[in-house]
Amino acid sequence: MRALAKWVAATAAAVSLAASAACGGDPPTDEKVVEFWYYQPTPEQSKQVKELLKRFEETEPTITIRLTEIPKDDYNTKLSSALGGGRGPDAGYLDQPLMARYANAGQLAEVPAGTITESDFYDGALRTNKISGKLFGIPLQQTTVALFYNRKLISTPPVTWDELVAESARVRRENPDLAGVNVPKGEGFGAWVFPAFVASAGGTMLDEGNRRIAFADPPAQEALAMWRKLLESSPRQITNSENPFHKGLAAMMFSGPWEVLAIRQQFPQLDFGVAPLPRKDVAASNIGGDNGVVFSKARNPDAAWKWLRFLSDATHNAEFSNITGNFPTNRKSARAAKINTDPAFKVFVDQLETAQARPAVPEWIQINDEYLAKAIEEGVDGGRSPADALADAAVRARKLLGWQ
Amino acid sequence: MSAARTADAVETAVVTAPPTDLAAPRRRRQRRRDAPIALRATAHVLLIGGVVVALAPFVWMVATSFKQPQDVFTPTPGLLPTDARTGQWAGTFANYLQVLDLGGFAVALLNSVIVAVVLIPGKLLLDALAAYAFARIPFPGRDALFLVVLATIMVPGIALLIPKVFVTQELGMGDSLAGVIVPSLVSAFDIFLLRQFFLTLPGELEEAAMIDGAGRLRIFWSVALPLAKPALAVVTITSFIFHWNELLWPLVILSDQDAYTLPLALQALAAGRVAQPHLVMAGAVIAVMPVIGIFLVFGRRILDGIQLTGLKS
Amino acid sequence: MNAVHRSGSWDRRRRDALAGFAFTAPAMLHTLVFMLVPAGAALYFSFTEWDMISPARWAGLRNYQEILFDSDLYSDFWKSVRVTALYALLSVPASLVTGFVQAYLIDLLRRGQAFYRLVFYLPVITAEAAVAAIWKWLYDPQFGLINAGLEVVGVRGPDWLGTPGVVIPALALIAAWQSGTAMLIFLAGLKGIPRTYYEAAEVDGANRWRQLGHITLPLLRPTTFYLVVTGVIAALQVFGIVYVLFGGNAGPERSGLSYVLHLYLFGYRNGAMGAASAMSVLLFVTVLLVTAAQFRLVPRQYEG
Repeated sequence: MRALAKWVAATAAAVSLAASAACGGDPPTDEKVVEFWYYQPTPEQSKQVKELLKRFEETEPTITIRLTEIPKDDYNTKLSSALGGGRGPDAGYLDQPLMARYANAGQLAEVPAGTITESDFYDGALRTNKISGKLFGIPLQQTTVALFYNRKLISTPPVTWDELVAESARVRRENPDLAGVNVPKGEGFGAWVFPAFVASAGGTMLDEGNRRIAFADPPAQEALAMWRKLLESSPRQITNSENPFHKGLAAMMFSGPWEVLAIRQQFPQLDFGVAPLPRKDVAASNIGGDNGVVFSKARNPDAAWKWLRFLSDATHNAEFSNITGNFPTNRKSARAAKINTDPAFKVFVDQLETAQARPAVPEWIQINDEYLAKAIEEGVDGGRSPADALADAAVRARKLLGWQ
Repeated sequence: MSAARTADAVETAVVTAPPTDLAAPRRRRQRRRDAPIALRATAHVLLIGGVVVALAPFVWMVATSFKQPQDVFTPTPGLLPTDARTGQWAGTFANYLQVLDLGGFAVALLNSVIVAVVLIPGKLLLDALAAYAFARIPFPGRDALFLVVLATIMVPGIALLIPKVFVTQELGMGDSLAGVIVPSLVSAFDIFLLRQFFLTLPGELEEAAMIDGAGRLRIFWSVALPLAKPALAVVTITSFIFHWNELLWPLVILSDQDAYTLPLALQALAAGRVAQPHLVMAGAVIAVMPVIGIFLVFGRRILDGIQLTGLKS
Repeated sequence: MNAVHRSGSWDRRRRDALAGFAFTAPAMLHTLVFMLVPAGAALYFSFTEWDMISPARWAGLRNYQEILFDSDLYSDFWKSVRVTALYALLSVPASLVTGFVQAYLIDLLRRGQAFYRLVFYLPVITAEAAVAAIWKWLYDPQFGLINAGLEVVGVRGPDWLGTPGVVIPALALIAAWQSGTAMLIFLAGLKGIPRTYYEAAEVDGANRWRQLGHITLPLLRPTTFYLVVTGVIAALQVFGIVYVLFGGNAGPERSGLSYVLHLYLFGYRNGAMGAASAMSVLLFVTVLLVTAAQFRLVPRQYEG
């Protein structure tokens, strides 16, 4: 029982810690402890991260990193509630769109000058760390979505929006039990993918400089109208089953690299390919990922920055992001990485060159999950016109941001 | 309105029905004449149909938990773990081993047991102490204090969720099993129930003990508590079921995976990006079985108790 | 003698007071720390803008004003109210009717009462997280047991959890499956009806249907009322099942966005703890009103 052993060890550690605290004895002054929070990876990945950590601690014998694994869905909740309670970690992951909120609340330490060379990093990923021109974190890993297609149903993946719509219709026509595409729904995930299509039609989401909402402009309307068109050949009744693409019920889906491993492990019989997201005018993609931050109340910020630099440097960044099923943020590391030899992953890496960072406003998650998601749901599944649905979302976002 | 009268009114409001009096000895069953045999037979047939519907989800849960991944997504779902193509028996324990070890259910099971073992006795003791004092010991301000306790019954737990998290963290119990246990150590409703029971105890026993020179604590421990066993049993079982199954409070108070209780581990497993019903169902079986086991053993007595008190678990 | 007795009684009173305070102290302290302080804090935070990671800022009544009247900022608040109301409206009768039928049939029996009672109560003691996980899988439109069963009888089942209009009825079905509490309490009520009433009715020549309509149902009114009120209060707070079924997405077109899920998402995901506290206070007031209605309306005793 690996997990049980781990639990016993953790409890023993907690007890001894409590005991040493009770005796009033601080750990020896030359030992620097950093409590680091990150998303719970799979058990196999967790083992690999710990091996990576061991190598770090060999080079930095005075530093001890304590890893705490937290389920991804609960991470943001737990973090804000722990920091609010004054018992937060010293350092950890921070989801890109949360950077602004935490930086503005004074919870983040600025990256000390000289810690990293900015030009080493992919621009899209690096920019998510900049709040009002200051750097508050180091990009550790990034991800994006691409087009997955079922080779049994689709011989050449569509390159343009028109081809995508036509292929979807053809699949449905020829196989009445199947859906063309698992069209993203009006929820957080769909709203996260959406900007890639908006950018492909030449649009953006927010114009922060001029305090203007841009996601109700014609490019976004066209993107939404295209999704709506896809739905005609992709009934929800079929795609609402669990994993419709994996089970061969939907011929295509937009999704991320994590699916590659999941399909290979659990649905080995599925013959699938990965292609860049179909485009309208220009190639574009969305971006997600995690930055490493040090919180302003950290006990040993120098030690924490050393750990984050280790995870993001040319030698280790590709290995680290590979373990967690993401992509390197460090260009030098990316070039050397073995993911380049895997054609499925190569598509994602190439596509990250065109990634658009999400708007750096503290309210973005709420705009994404509450307003944009609703507009997508109304404009795709519901009966409203894309223009109306997006215009409503824009009114709401404007009010929330105070950009009257 | 005096405090006592308000307490009385609140009491009536809180527990209005069922009209069976908790304290009264069970009324002798006044049975109607038996229904005609044809009617009874029809009732049996209908009820058996109900039993099938009530149990089918459990049967399917157990069946899925023993299936191999490739046999789960089949167009004609079977109630037995058989190979989807050949129809041969293909049951496996692998799903259980996987969720216990890698899914963290072994740790979660241990955590859930720790919570139950510490919380339930502690809660019984604190609630019974207070209930006994409210019922049997005259002391100044008693009615006012009891009114405060009663008033808290009406506050929906969720309304206090956010500040309770805040308070628990301020006390240094965030992200630990203590944070799950301590805030639940006192239940106003249980105090109320036990007080109603203690009210019915005959006073002579206490008087006799007092003449023998016993103090209140001693009377509580060796006279009142043993007599209260039936009521304590109801509180024990309903508390166990409630806390064993509780999701929301542990969800907001715990961060570290290693402190998760079973419902949380199950929720985290079910929320995974790629659906794995065979694993989720194995996890569900682990989470559900202890409660069902206890229920099947003590079921009859528990139900009598619940029926008597109108307690909602 | 008299003096001794009096001093003994005085001594006893003093000791009783001491014992009374000592016995109730832990419970009262706990109530203070985990009920009264949080209640005060909830009220205070509801008047602030607070995201947990920076200090709370006083906002007066703004949270309440915006939640109730600003459909741009809180576009789904009233939706969550409607979802919750509809859930209460469907799930409470569903579980009450099922529970009553079960109780009525069980009460007719001479043998096997204990068995049926036990079986129908099983779904109630099952963890919410497990109930949701099981039903999510039962409701799967392609591979679920329910639609497979419907197919056998030639019906094409709906996409239960994927069609906005079907989500709440699907939740109500789960509530009907969990009818054990209603069954148990109705059974207690049925057993409490004096036999003489039925005997008198039989003398008057009333058949079972008439007895049901004229004796059983009217006499069960207090029991029913109790179940309705407690059921509604519980339904207003539904969270676990929708959270495990839908997560933060709250179902297709947010058709499973219960009041508490909405509150949870605003507080913990959007970081609007002040607003979430105001929503808690509004919920508290609502529950209080329901409880007060019960207090005013419920008949205290059986008539007769």
